[in-house]
Amino acid sequence: MTADILEAKVEPIEHEDTRDSRRLGFSLTLPAQLLVLFIAVFPILMQIYISLTDWSPLDGISWWQAHRLWNGFANYTDLAADDRFWSALWRTVLVMAICVPAEFLLGLGLAILFVDNFPGRRFLYSVLLVPMMVVPAVAGYMFFMLFQSGGPVNDILSFFYGAPVTIAWLSDPDLAFFAVIASDIWQWTPLMFLILLAGMVGVPEDQLRAATLLGASWTTRFRTIVLPRMKTIIIIALAIRVIENFKVFDNFYIMTGGGPGVATETISIYIYKVTQQELIWGYVAAVALVILISLSVVSAFAIKRMSQSREAG
Amino acid sequence: MTAIHLENLGKTFSSFTALRNMNLEIADGEFVALLGPSGCGKSTTMNMIAGMIDPSEGAIRFGDRDMRGVPMSRRGVGFVFQNYAIFTHMTVYENLAYGLRATGVAKAERDRRVRDMAEFLHLTPLLKKPAAGLSVNILQRLAIGRSAIMEPAIFLLDEPLSNVDAAFRAVMRTELKHLQREFRQTMVYVTHDQLEAMTMADRIAVMDHGKLLQVGTPIDVYNNPSSVFVAGFLGSPGMNLVKGKGVESDGIKRVDLGEAGVSAPLPAHLSDSVPEGASVFYGFRPEHCELTDGEGLRLPVTFVERIGARTIVHMGSDGSAVKCVFDNRVPVRTGEVVSLAIDPSNVRLFNAETGAAIGGAN
Amino acid sequence: MNRSMPFEIFRYAVILSLVALSLIPTLWMVSMAFKPIAEWSATGADLTWWPNSPTLDNFRFLFGESNSDLIVALDRTAGQPILSSLLSAVFGTLIAMMAGTSAAYGLSRFGSGSNLPLALIQLRIFPPMAVMIPVMIMWAFLGLIDTWYGLALVYGIVTMPFAFWLMKTFFDDMPREIEDAALVEGCSRLRVFWKITLPMMRPALASSALFVFILNWSDYLIALLLTTRDWVTIPVYMASLSSSMTGQLYGAKAALGLIAAIPPVVLGIAIQKHLVRGLTFGALKQ
Repeated sequence: MTADILEAKVEPIEHEDTRDSRRLGFSLTLPAQLLVLFIAVFPILMQIYISLTDWSPLDGISWWQAHRLWNGFANYTDLAADDRFWSALWRTVLVMAICVPAEFLLGLGLAILFVDNFPGRRFLYSVLLVPMMVVPAVAGYMFFMLFQSGGPVNDILSFFYGAPVTIAWLSDPDLAFFAVIASDIWQWTPLMFLILLAGMVGVPEDQLRAATLLGASWTTRFRTIVLPRMKTIIIIALAIRVIENFKVFDNFYIMTGGGPGVATETISIYIYKVTQQELIWGYVAAVALVILISLSVVSAFAIKRMSQSREAG
Repeated sequence: MTAIHLENLGKTFSSFTALRNMNLEIADGEFVALLGPSGCGKSTTMNMIAGMIDPSEGAIRFGDRDMRGVPMSRRGVGFVFQNYAIFTHMTVYENLAYGLRATGVAKAERDRRVRDMAEFLHLTPLLKKPAAGLSVNILQRLAIGRSAIMEPAIFLLDEPLSNVDAAFRAVMRTELKHLQREFRQTMVYVTHDQLEAMTMADRIAVMDHGKLLQVGTPIDVYNNPSSVFVAGFLGSPGMNLVKGKGVESDGIKRVDLGEAGVSAPLPAHLSDSVPEGASVFYGFRPEHCELTDGEGLRLPVTFVERIGARTIVHMGSDGSAVKCVFDNRVPVRTGEVVSLAIDPSNVRLFNAETGAAIGGAN
Repeated sequence: MNRSMPFEIFRYAVILSLVALSLIPTLWMVSMAFKPIAEWSATGADLTWWPNSPTLDNFRFLFGESNSDLIVALDRTAGQPILSSLLSAVFGTLIAMMAGTSAAYGLSRFGSGSNLPLALIQLRIFPPMAVMIPVMIMWAFLGLIDTWYGLALVYGIVTMPFAFWLMKTFFDDMPREIEDAALVEGCSRLRVFWKITLPMMRPALASSALFVFILNWSDYLIALLLTTRDWVTIPVYMASLSSSMTGQLYGAKAALGLIAAIPPVVLGIAIQKHLVRGLTFGALKQ
């Protein structure tokens, strides 16, 4: 009799706490969940709908009436044949293939120089981080000014060349390409530097000493201990830069507007232009969806691989 | 050949002097323990032998080779870190092979030596396993093997047993000693645990506050400590030190120990060195006490610790606080006043001001 | 590690050259901001690194005082865009921090919302341009186009992942004993969160908020699409500045760029300790 009463008293309190906690947890995460829903689910559904039509805001009808302009998968087949899209995509990949490794190697080199303590380390470190904190649009304008035919870059080159240099950087397709890449490398190398240095500093010093005592040279230690132990961080740094670089818009658009012609038109600039200039939003929706789905698949795959290897290793 | 000579070694960091006037000769094949509390300079000394830090003054010689300017990677020194510093991102095999690979030993020979070492250390079944997550016991053997495979003339160990739980420590002590005999290397072992030093070392170098206080065989240092610090540091519990004054009556020198009474007559070699009225510490080891019914020091029992085979009896208070160790059958009770007899040959005297031992060795 | 003298010289040489490279673009813009119109388009030998006659005219121009050399005046001053940037960034930060912090706490302490980490990372992977059309349509429908609060809402959503990840790692790092002690004394979970956890987290909240603020302030594309005239932010306004009479308004734009760039740089240096944590979604801490 007594035991029952005691038991009856204890249990509800315990359940009360868990239920309360769960309810609280749910309501705490609710705002975030709603916002994600708002920005992810509705837009995708909307885009799926619009992408199957030939709608444009110029048509004078509201978007939900776009079914009147139904054209099935025509947008998608057009997309497959759209040279401008594919060349923009290719260009974006090319930019990535140049910028990310360059930023990585420069960042790694800087990290190696900053691992030891030396006078002025903290100050120089802060200074080197500044480019990364400049508003990208403003950085784009900075480099626009730098690469003017009458600008500082030509001025410096003239100094080294001995005669006046008046290269029209931003009017030449290849030179403009180089200039935008330079602006990206300038702005984001500090990010690589920041992340890689944090990772490098975390390599246990005792292990490095042990390796030295066993006769290993600096390069051997770097190759066999520092780099392997930085593997995760290196992957994270590269992943972050690849993702952000793929999305690049601000500084490229301000520097060249995607030009001359389409010489510096990345995928984001392409989508922007078709959205604002040609206004064929049905088509743009199709493009957007294709990109979203490919990115979702690739990222889900990569994340699964990463968590699998994290569990194994 | 592989003797170590530390000559007037010293190290100062900015404002802090970690080590001063360190002179020590370590013979080839000898196992020397650097023993002392935290901050005594033992790790600093060892780091300088290894080449991790440069001396501020003095010299280090391996044999007749001056090691100044010789970088860490070329000293031919084996080093076992306190946390072993195992390369946890590699396998056991790769850890063992690391030094050989780094110094360009050919693959075939490397393989042979790794397997031999693994065999010797009973690590063969683990060769392909990642070094991360292995037990401390295995890691210790791996750490030693990784260094030993390079056949260094000198082996340095920095408190390797401090991360091991008490149960294993005894086992590991024996293993380490066995390994040292096998490899016949000169070994320098840093520790703050006097039991470790006593059981494993050929000689012990006791250090405190950056100075070398005494060097000798374990028995030597235990029986004839050169200062109150060494006397108190070795042994568990350490030597009892009761403050007293030299007194003379009828031509016989004794020590007046205040409340405890007056001691038994001092042995000859000590009585000559104690002037009348000199302030001394009267020292005797806890295991050298005997309870008598007759003459002796009179002390009240304050606390009795019965810990299995031994019983530690705490007596007296303040200046004459004393601990004695008896077997577990001793019939004492708290509050009782007992009479303590100590064989004069087991008595040691120390200058109360300087702490230095008085009189020659026994 | 003892390093040799030649290496130290090499180290300083490399670092100082890279420092120079990283400062030159910014310094050029600073210099331009203070150059009078006559020096804007100097070429060749006339090109100077520092203004020959530094002036605040560019700044005055931005704020409405017409410059005697510039025939054309602006249709509005820079005051409005600055206000727009400020309002949208501040309120965007508020939204991101509130939603992100609560969700982070919910996940850290109760394990709710386990789908959020993955969802929020995917959110950051999508190019903004790929979701902007529906957002533009929705915002037009809700009357949020060309308003600072419409912009703030998008900012809040887009930077919430950072607020979430930053605060989650901070909550995970915080020992639970303090909260548990309060719970044992009878406080409800909500009270504990509000009265104990959050006050303790003030420095973390501050750093995270500043981090998110920097991101919001630095946006260009979203503002470009969602604002048209009245509430354009500084970057959009800056890009739109031009005059057919005087060509590129280098000096004025540079001055504006300077105004836009200073807050994030100053704040960024202030929170540099936490940058690694924020930028790697908590995978790394400094």
